[in-house]
Amino acid sequence: MNWIIIKNDFKRNKVIHAGLLLFIIFSASLAVLSVMVATQTLTGISNLYRIAQPPHFLQMHKGELDQGAIDAFMAGQENVIDWQTVTMLNVYGDHLTIAGTREAFTLADLRLDIGLVRQNETRDLLLDAAHEKVVLGEGEVGIPVLLREMYGIEIGDRLMLSNGDVMQELVIVTFVLDSQMNSPMTSSTRILLSDHDFETLSMGVSEHEYLIEAYLNDPKEASGLKTAYENAGLPQNGPTITYAMIFVLSALTDLVTVFVMLLVSLLLIMVAFICIRFTILATLEEEIVEIGIMKAIGLSFKDQRNLYLHKYRLLAVAGVLAGYGFAFSISGFFTRHISTTFGKTTLSVSVITLSLATACLLYLLIVLYAKKILKRIRRLTVVEALVSGKGFGKEKRFEKQGLHRSRKLSVNWLLALREVYHHFRDWTILFAVVMTAVLMMLIPTHLMNTFESPAFITYMGSSLKDILIEVESGEHLETGYTKVREVLDGDPAIASYDAFRRVRVQTIDGDHQPFNIDIDVGPHAGSGLQYLTGQQPETAYEIALSYLNANEMRKAPGDTVIIFLHGEAREFIVSGVYQDVTSGGFTAKSTDVFPELASTKYAFSVSLKDGVHPESKADEWSAIIGTGVKVDPMDQYISQTLGGVVSQLRLMVIAIAIMSICLVMLLTALFMKLRLAKDVWEIAIFKAVGFSEKDIQKQYLIKMGGVALLGIVTGIMLTHVLGSRIINGALRVAGIGIRQVELIANPLVTYLMCPLLLLALVLVVTGISAGSAKRHSIISMMTQ
Amino acid sequence: MKTLLEVTGLAKDFDGTQVLKGVHLTVYEGEMVAIMGRSGSGKSTLLYGISGMDKPTSGSVSLFDREITSLDDDQMSELRLRHMGFVFQHAYLLHKLSVMDNIVLPGFKAGALSRDDVNQRGKALMEKTGISSVAAHDPGKVSGGQLQRAAICRALINDPDILFADEPTGALNSRATQEIMDIFNRINREGTTVVLVTHDAKVAARADRIIFLVDGLIQDELALGKHEADEQAQAAREKKIFEWLEHQGF
Repeated sequence: MNWIIIKNDFKRNKVIHAGLLLFIIFSASLAVLSVMVATQTLTGISNLYRIAQPPHFLQMHKGELDQGAIDAFMAGQENVIDWQTVTMLNVYGDHLTIAGTREAFTLADLRLDIGLVRQNETRDLLLDAAHEKVVLGEGEVGIPVLLREMYGIEIGDRLMLSNGDVMQELVIVTFVLDSQMNSPMTSSTRILLSDHDFETLSMGVSEHEYLIEAYLNDPKEASGLKTAYENAGLPQNGPTITYAMIFVLSALTDLVTVFVMLLVSLLLIMVAFICIRFTILATLEEEIVEIGIMKAIGLSFKDQRNLYLHKYRLLAVAGVLAGYGFAFSISGFFTRHISTTFGKTTLSVSVITLSLATACLLYLLIVLYAKKILKRIRRLTVVEALVSGKGFGKEKRFEKQGLHRSRKLSVNWLLALREVYHHFRDWTILFAVVMTAVLMMLIPTHLMNTFESPAFITYMGSSLKDILIEVESGEHLETGYTKVREVLDGDPAIASYDAFRRVRVQTIDGDHQPFNIDIDVGPHAGSGLQYLTGQQPETAYEIALSYLNANEMRKAPGDTVIIFLHGEAREFIVSGVYQDVTSGGFTAKSTDVFPELASTKYAFSVSLKDGVHPESKADEWSAIIGTGVKVDPMDQYISQTLGGVVSQLRLMVIAIAIMSICLVMLLTALFMKLRLAKDVWEIAIFKAVGFSEKDIQKQYLIKMGGVALLGIVTGIMLTHVLGSRIINGALRVAGIGIRQVELIANPLVTYLMCPLLLLALVLVVTGISAGSAKRHSIISMMTQ
Repeated sequence: MKTLLEVTGLAKDFDGTQVLKGVHLTVYEGEMVAIMGRSGSGKSTLLYGISGMDKPTSGSVSLFDREITSLDDDQMSELRLRHMGFVFQHAYLLHKLSVMDNIVLPGFKAGALSRDDVNQRGKALMEKTGISSVAAHDPGKVSGGQLQRAAICRALINDPDILFADEPTGALNSRATQEIMDIFNRINREGTTVVLVTHDAKVAARADRIIFLVDGLIQDELALGKHEADEQAQAAREKKIFEWLEHQGF
């Protein structure tokens, strides 16, 4: 009996049910996909970490090293279970040439420091795609997958190293997964050599960098070890990285994918719920007499409710199952990056369990929501249903404001606008769909624009200029600095430049424990950055702290920071808190020059005169200054650092745009079919009194266009209001040093392309759909 | 008299069933014609066919010397808007508009008069038909007779040359029927040609001529001459019609 009722109901309202089913399918598939990608990412990382064993604490250091002192320190730490010092032979990108089937090229444009390493014994291993420890023979080399992605390197290509007197040619035999340096946001990348080649090259390559790695009982205590290590005066002129930072940087690209998918999925679920509400209420209104009769003959509320509920159960099951299947079939596309970065992962039990749980949760939510709306049947009395005509207390359909008072608007515009204004509830679905499409399209696009924009440099500890020059610690530090200054001072193409040097000082953290911070010092240090609170340091007694440092030290603008210089405490006032994703997010800025301290890094922000091309200028300086100094146009610096995230986001933006376009077209067509069916009687009256098909079509175009426009405007406004909040919430969770970004909107996309595209889609589909009314004569429409 | 409507061989099939079988009919300017017949005889189908509300299967309908069966949608809409009025058995007012708005809507659409003039005309029509008091009302809240008068006002707002009415009093009580037919006679006297379908002999007695339809063909017609607002004359007309209908086997 129930089945017959459900079947008949589906037949009668097949259009709206098909639309509803589609929304459930899409939202279920995206929800399942996001859970799958998130779980796959975590599983992929944990599988890789289980075998590769990245360190919980890593201190990089260039120069002399006293291994005995390190061993003594580590042995004295209760929490440390193991430690090792890995040697990297630092080479410059322009010393490395890749040759293969394509034209040979160097890695000169690579921003990352390149270290040649040999395989470790048991920990911090470099693995192949099958998570096997890579063992190389003489003359063989393993290239990180990161470089394969960036340069399109292939197996069999040759890597040629020419470093002073050293000349070595190696064959690329594998690509290695590096558990700790697999993101362009880390400072270095490692190329694996055989033990023999490593030994040979270590004689010729003079610049050695050390990775002092420690493994802890409780990895969460890594920051404690960091402080203890730094205070012990052990080698520490390079970056310090903890397990949590390695994890976040590794997973960032895929977590961005998960975030965007979850966001879109939530938006779609929201629209699916609006569709459910609309469908149920419309059905209840239509069947009010039947409901009244059922009540009158004594059918229980539960029995009546189940007559409707079964249909939604069936729709939810079908939609969720189809969505689940669809998600599975396309998951490979979205997990490709995971397989590339973390190695081949099979569908684990946890992926299947969690994705199934998500699907079940969505089913339950749909059924519970349907149940909630159907409670209205319980509240309805027989009299309300059959006698008084009050029904479910629907809104008054009659428009009090007289049409006859209008003087200017044409009748079609008048009727259409009045309809939308007075009966907006009937148009909620279209409004919600278009608004959702705008949010779906614009928030990820804004995020991509933000990551791509040169202005993002202000979240990376630098002000927005044309070229960024960095001289990293090492043997070339001072000579590099001198060379850069010479070049900059002698180049007439420069409008201005700011020079900064980085020094490391000791302070105390929020628990009054000694704590080291890196401060970028210079007369203009901290200018042009994104300040969360406060402002740049203006006097020599002020200091600006990065967001993560301010958190660690529990300081806010106006607070005092004590800095110890040669045992003497000096007080600085916190002038502001800024955002920085570089150096693990732990930096500070001061205009005091700290002449007594040695530099660990130099940086130059250069503004060029108008008309000077940053890229060619950067190339020119690079060639003059030579190795050991990174010269990058600002946009290239950002694109290399965040390129992975941006390309993944671009993929998502395209996929979402296609999905949004399909959804809007489909829903507009379905909605129009529904409206034309509902309005058939009204259309017949219009035609009977002299309105033409063109008039009817025009009215629908105005109505649908008006509602779509409202949806678009609301969507854009919500993107502005909510977009940054949503993104900032996610960034806060990610803990990468940014808490608050101003999303950058591309005005052309936001205010022209996206609105015009959606509006055009709605209007074209409406125009075509409204044309179908021509098939009916007035009388046949009236008798329908 | 000038021919207003010329129907030749009008036929209409519904799913293989021939409802009209080639009707020939002429209506003259200023005439009031009633179409009668048993249920299923095709009287409403004939009215829809000759008014362009429905497409005939074959035959021709010439209205104002224009073949309306070959007009496109725009031309037909224009004709309906400016030259024709139609009153259905049920008023078919738009529920979202007030009674007044329903009436002035075709006037606004036609644009022949200013909106103020259309409103004035609407008010005058409502006054004539006695529904001024419900002008601002929700159509769902007024009586059947008032609704039907509003439908007549709507049909007359653009001062049509011909008014078609399909059982305009079918859903009304006898008092309302009388009042509605008084309005029809008045309109007709003022120059509007009226063609109406009815099964009520008293309503038909208000017409100049009655056409009797049997199985999709005109079987007979009865010329009565102009209606007079005289009770005795009306009673005589009704008697004549009853006898004639009896003769038709009605």
